[in-house]
Amino acid sequence: MATALVRSGLLRTALRGGARNPAAPNRNFASSAHHDDAYETAKWEKITYLGIATCTVLAIYNLSKGHPHHDEPPAYPYMHIRNKEFPWGPDGLFERKHH
Amino acid sequence: MIESQRHSYHLVDPSPWPISGSLGALATTVGGVMYMHSFQGGATLLSLGLLFILYTMFVWWRDVLRESTLEGHHTKVVQLGPRYGSIPFIVSEVMFLFAFFRASSHSSLAPTVEIGGIWPPKGIEVLDPREIPFLNTPILLSSGAAVTWAHHAILAGKEKRAVYALVATVSLALVFTGFQGMEYYQAPFTISDSIYGSTFFLATGFHGFHVIIGTLFLIICGIRQYLGHLTKEHHVGFEAAAWYWHFVDVVRLFLFVSIYWWGGI
Repeated sequence: MATALVRSGLLRTALRGGARNPAAPNRNFASSAHHDDAYETAKWEKITYLGIATCTVLAIYNLSKGHPHHDEPPAYPYMHIRNKEFPWGPDGLFERKHH
Repeated sequence: MIESQRHSYHLVDPSPWPISGSLGALATTVGGVMYMHSFQGGATLLSLGLLFILYTMFVWWRDVLRESTLEGHHTKVVQLGPRYGSIPFIVSEVMFLFAFFRASSHSSLAPTVEIGGIWPPKGIEVLDPREIPFLNTPILLSSGAAVTWAHHAILAGKEKRAVYALVATVSLALVFTGFQGMEYYQAPFTISDSIYGSTFFLATGFHGFHVIIGTLFLIICGIRQYLGHLTKEHHVGFEAAAWYWHFVDVVRLFLFVSIYWWGGI
């Protein structure tokens, strides 16, 4: 109990920043120093633009190729498995309708 | 905060949302079972349950935002709660998705004789990993870069840049989901086509579902950033969304390497 009180007292002091020596510099987390964040913001903005540019090129290349057409595979017993009727009918919800 | 309160803890008011969420979950479970066994009224009970859960989520989180943003109950020490809570939440999500990777590896490392003793199973035409899968991976990674951009912008106090960055993050996420939908539509196999289809759609589908949840989470953060809710010192909600988004990113990398690439060639 006593330790808990002391601890919560310490915690409160730490949270308020009360007992801090005014001469000592404010301890910030490494990522929250103001100057660095402006720099990091600009850096990650550039990385994002680079990513978007790369993806755009890839997307144009991909979509211009067209997609291959597949032949219907043979009716192996492990394909198109149906153990019981779905509540909504014969086809799976996200299946392409072949008939 | 009330003047007479001489501690930094948040003593929550009684709330009806835990019990309403529980009742919603009960209705969803019972309604779901009834629906799948073609009982009368099953679909109605299931829809009511889901609506009830969605309503509870909305009003509960609305209350949390009021308590934190408007009433100032989320002091430094109170913020530790959601921070520490996010860690086991994400760890549990990792374990959830690990099960699907495990199922896929189990079935593909020693393919059974019933599927022709090969992986992909005989007769399964797989997607080319160099096409949409290879395009969608950097799209999601760029979205991860954009959320880091937003994070630094918030820390630097650049409020407008942070909104732009979140718009970029969400846009990339929506493009990802669009391409994923296209891939599903064009896929030559379905979830009922052998163990390959089952593991493929279970793993990529649950990942896609997590992407949609993360997108909603980030949209809420974007709106809150626009409204000025998030500050340099206080943006726990955003940080949780960013952690979640990075988790979704990492899962995508593993999906690409193990299921699309290794499992599809």
